[in-house]
Amino acid sequence: MTDLQLPAAPAARPRARRRRPVPWDLVAALAIFLVLAVVDLVLQPALADLGQIGLLLQTGLPLVLVAAAQTMVVLVRGLDLSVGGILAVATVVTASAQGGGPGWIALALAVGIGLGLLNGLLVGPVGMQPFIVTLATWTIFDGIALKIMSTDGGTPPPAAVALATGETAGIPNSVLVVVGLLVAWLLLRRSRFGHRMVAVGTDAERARLNGTPVRAVVVAAFVLSGLLAAFAGVLSSGLTASGSPTIGDRYILTSVAAVVIGGTSLLGGRGGIGLTVLAALSLTLINDIVAAMNADVWVTTAASSGLLLVLVLTRGLVARLSGRRVT
Amino acid sequence: MTIIDGAGTGAGAGRGPAAGPAAGPARELVVTGLEKAYGRNQVLRGVDLTARFGTVHALLGENGAGKSTLIKILGGVTRQDAGTVSLGGRKLPPGGVTAAQRAGVRVVFQELSSIANLSVAENLLYRAEPHRAGVVAGRRLQRRAAELLARFGMDRLDPGRRVADLDLAERQLLEVVKALAAEPRVLVLDEATSALSSADSSWVLDQGRQAAARGCAVLLITHRLGEVRDVADRLTVLRSGTTVLVGRPDEFDDDTMITEMLGRRVERLFPPRTPPGEDVVVAVRGGRVGERLGPLDLEVRAGEIAGLGGLQGQGQREVLRALAGATRWTGGEVTVRGREHHPATPAEAIRAGITYVPEDRQREGLLLTRSVLVNSSLSSLFSLVRRGLLDRRREAQRSRAVAGDTGLPEGRLHAPVSMLSGGNQQKVVLARALYREPTVLLLHDCTRGVDVGTKADIFALVAGLAAKGTGVVFYSSDLSELAHFCDRVYVMAEGRVRGRLDAAGGELSEESILRLALTHRADDTGEEAPAP
Amino acid sequence: MTGVLAALRGSRTTLGAALFALVLFVVGTVHTAGFASGDNIRQLLVFASFVGFAALGQTLVVLGGGLDLSVPWLISFGGIQLAVLCAGGMNQVLAVVVCVVVGLLVGLVNGIGVTVFGVAPIVMTLGVGGLVQAYLLAVGLLKATGNDVPTIASGVANGALGPIPVVAVVWLVVALVVAVVLARTRFGRSVYATGENDVVAVLSGIDTGRVRMITYAVSGAASAFAGVIISGYIGKAYLEIGQPFLFASIAALVIGGASILGGRGTYFGTVVGAIALTLLNSLLPLFNLDPASLSIAYGLVILVGVRVTTTRGTGRGWGRRARRAEESEAG
Ligand SMILES: Nc1ncnc2c1ncn2[C@@H]1O[C@H](COP(=O)(O)OP(=O)(O)OP(=O)(O)O)[C@@H](O)[C@H]1O
Ligand SMILES: [Mg+2]
Repeated sequence: MTDLQLPAAPAARPRARRRRPVPWDLVAALAIFLVLAVVDLVLQPALADLGQIGLLLQTGLPLVLVAAAQTMVVLVRGLDLSVGGILAVATVVTASAQGGGPGWIALALAVGIGLGLLNGLLVGPVGMQPFIVTLATWTIFDGIALKIMSTDGGTPPPAAVALATGETAGIPNSVLVVVGLLVAWLLLRRSRFGHRMVAVGTDAERARLNGTPVRAVVVAAFVLSGLLAAFAGVLSSGLTASGSPTIGDRYILTSVAAVVIGGTSLLGGRGGIGLTVLAALSLTLINDIVAAMNADVWVTTAASSGLLLVLVLTRGLVARLSGRRVT
Repeated sequence: MTIIDGAGTGAGAGRGPAAGPAAGPARELVVTGLEKAYGRNQVLRGVDLTARFGTVHALLGENGAGKSTLIKILGGVTRQDAGTVSLGGRKLPPGGVTAAQRAGVRVVFQELSSIANLSVAENLLYRAEPHRAGVVAGRRLQRRAAELLARFGMDRLDPGRRVADLDLAERQLLEVVKALAAEPRVLVLDEATSALSSADSSWVLDQGRQAAARGCAVLLITHRLGEVRDVADRLTVLRSGTTVLVGRPDEFDDDTMITEMLGRRVERLFPPRTPPGEDVVVAVRGGRVGERLGPLDLEVRAGEIAGLGGLQGQGQREVLRALAGATRWTGGEVTVRGREHHPATPAEAIRAGITYVPEDRQREGLLLTRSVLVNSSLSSLFSLVRRGLLDRRREAQRSRAVAGDTGLPEGRLHAPVSMLSGGNQQKVVLARALYREPTVLLLHDCTRGVDVGTKADIFALVAGLAAKGTGVVFYSSDLSELAHFCDRVYVMAEGRVRGRLDAAGGELSEESILRLALTHRADDTGEEAPAP
Repeated sequence: MTGVLAALRGSRTTLGAALFALVLFVVGTVHTAGFASGDNIRQLLVFASFVGFAALGQTLVVLGGGLDLSVPWLISFGGIQLAVLCAGGMNQVLAVVVCVVVGLLVGLVNGIGVTVFGVAPIVMTLGVGGLVQAYLLAVGLLKATGNDVPTIASGVANGALGPIPVVAVVWLVVALVVAVVLARTRFGRSVYATGENDVVAVLSGIDTGRVRMITYAVSGAASAFAGVIISGYIGKAYLEIGQPFLFASIAALVIGGASILGGRGTYFGTVVGAIALTLLNSLLPLFNLDPASLSIAYGLVILVGVRVTTTRGTGRGWGRRARRAEESEAG
């Protein structure tokens, strides 16, 4: 053994503290959103108006919320194919009001929570793969929606319509909902529960070593997902002033796409609703741009996919050129 | 007997009050008759252990002896089949992490428990975050974390950094601070020093000592006997899941301890040196990797074991990674056996006969759900192809042979590596690098967590390869390994080689490495220093 | 011996799925007289092989850690493009080859987007699928061809070797080839390694980019080929022909025991999953349920069936079950 006197604690020089990393995903998602917004503005100058933006936001709102729902589950390394089913059930429950009061909205939300809980219990405590569980519950929920209402129809309570299309103090409700969602997310992300979610999504086994109630966190994530998807359903039915048992399916892949475009990893633990909202709005903008083209369906299909691809490929290229490892 | 064991370079605080407060169940952690089986693998067969509060108790045993299993039961992570754990006379309910934590047990897990996507501060105070109505008070969290780090003398960890960006040693240190922060009654250090430099190791041991002085029972698991001698008051040796030796460290010599651990004697840890040849296998001139490394000059001759010394994180990892093709050289001239070598990918390096044992076996080394067989042959598959198909018989033969060479237990060839003990997992990574005789072998802490007996076997194996002409580049956080295993050590500081110490010239010793490394810490002029 | 045990452990979920399929078959036989008839079994086999072909590339892609959502559009592409080419007078065999090769190239585009540009697989394949869809829409508009299926496709799809449908034989052969490739070749190992841990795979000398690229290319080719025979069987090629296979291709492999997060599963599992799904799809309508109840029943049967027949978790779940399973599998 040497008798050389060792510095007791930090022997190695503290390395030059690295600069806080650029929030790449945020920058990229913002850039994509802004590019699309500019394109849309150029195509339709009339959009530069709060009312118009509110209208645009309205149509995008269900997707924003479903994508947010999806994010909750993806964050804990899951996948929720049943968000569309929950949305459908929520629209038909809301539309069953037939002019009733806002209690129907509460009922729809409660049903969403219940359905989410079912998913969560099957994935968490029972331990089945999220994909299988939600694939099955998706068709079950679709069936339930069909049982409640076999075709589009019904009348949602006026409160739902107001919620989706009205305005409060001059600000469109759609804007308020998005802002509310973002605020809620920021609180959630910074909450203790948010930390548990990140931990479980990153590495369930290590989360358990830290005493995290892993299964409970998974259940809670699915419950939140159910609630948000149901809220999307309420808004959707308010928007169309009816309920639709088949409206949900179109949201399933798009919600996953929005989550991923936003930069949330399907492997869990990274990302969040903020980015998802941006991505969902970007997808809405793409739809709006494409609709403004007023062209053949094959042209619009090509344009929407092409636009999306160009943007994400560019993002990939920039990331690569800037030396950021892509995987 | 020439067991020389490193690391325990005089852990600051002296031996604590070995004659602590009166013994008795109220002042002890008592484990009785613990049994645990995984399938048909009976891992623990009635283990007894008593550790008094206020003392450091070492738990020793070869790889797979059941040490980690024991502490996982202690920590409530795994449930025992039979037996009890009691703390201060009170029985611990089995199988609950929270219950164990509440009872005051904190574990530094061998494979670490920090969450990569959370920051240092968030990990440090995980489940103890300061909050208002469930919302974490961010600034207070940062402040508390900084305070904790400062209190334990680890303020070089930046509380705001994401754990995914820390290197292995930093994560290990974080893990220790996290356990200490909870002010535990029982502190378990499961190979908490395995990736640490001697200075950091002494810090950990010192903290353990101080925790004991505060009345905590510290369980220290390590394969470095020097550490046991430095800080442990008592020791227990496990073999195949039973307690085979209990006593004070000074009652036994190294030989006895090792024989009890392994069931065999180890003649010598480090093989005798054979003089390397003259042919240069690897030559680096003015090599650069980004801004972090270089300009670097380095030469490895055939049969030479060239060490990379210096304090931790001075570019040693980057040298190995660049040679392995995991990162690109951005400048300089690199030749392997006289030929230009700028591998763009590890695949190219491997084809040139360069194999690499990376730093972090769990992140970079292993397909955890796959078998030992699949993991060991992974980078040599091209050599097993016959008529387009893998020759599975040859694969099994070769895997079995190399598993034997690296000291893996027999009959586990088809077990998923996640079910192996930590040390045995490390051997799988090594087995992959040795699967085909490499031209150049790059070793980053290749014996991390490996028991003394196997370590000796591995060193003999590597020395044997070297004798046949392989050039070895060797990095170890354990100074004694550098000093006693290498033919030559390049001491690095801030991404450059600051000096060269040759064993042949009699210059190479732990002290000389350290002195050279520290010199460059002190006068940080950035000038090239003359070799001593 | 341990090797066999390891293999069994790996396929435990697959065994569960096989059991599930068996139960469905027995229920069908008991419930409906003609269910076990030769004709019906032949038909089930043909349907299952459609799912199997659609899921072939998907299995490779998923094992390698990706996901291919362009499968349904490439299936439609295979059918429609073949009809268009043949209507234009091209040699039928050549036309099939052209379709499959174009499918392969489209898959390659997916692969390049994912590996070179680092675009998330879901987004890349969704976008490329959209472009293929647009192309098919354009073709449909520009040439209002009769979407009559050429004889080669219907011949293969309806042909039989003695009592066994040609398609099933082809499927069997393909399945064996894929199984061998996955289990016994360097490429197969590389796929699993890439899917389980990209970093480890790269450091072990695996060109993960190339591996993934190949899986997407195979997926493109296999989907186009599936389109050819599916349209041949139906006797018409139209835009929506691929749609049912989007989720079916993924569900088959997941029911068969693969993890959609990559690295775990076998094509054998997918085959079993495809058979189970097909049985389910043909069994439930026999109960004369209204659409809503049918939908509910479908989901319930999947849930209960997978839960009951899969005695152990996959080790990827979160539950105590998964953990216990992992622990007791040692030794
Ligand atoms: N999750 C598991 N499933 C199956 N077997 C396991 C599992 N964990 C550990 N084992 C087995 O239990 C035995 C003891 O392992 P353990 O990790 O306790 O050893 P250890 O004494 O800590 O060794 P090391 O010094 O290498 O860390 C080994 O044979 C190992 O294969
Ligand atoms: Mg251990």
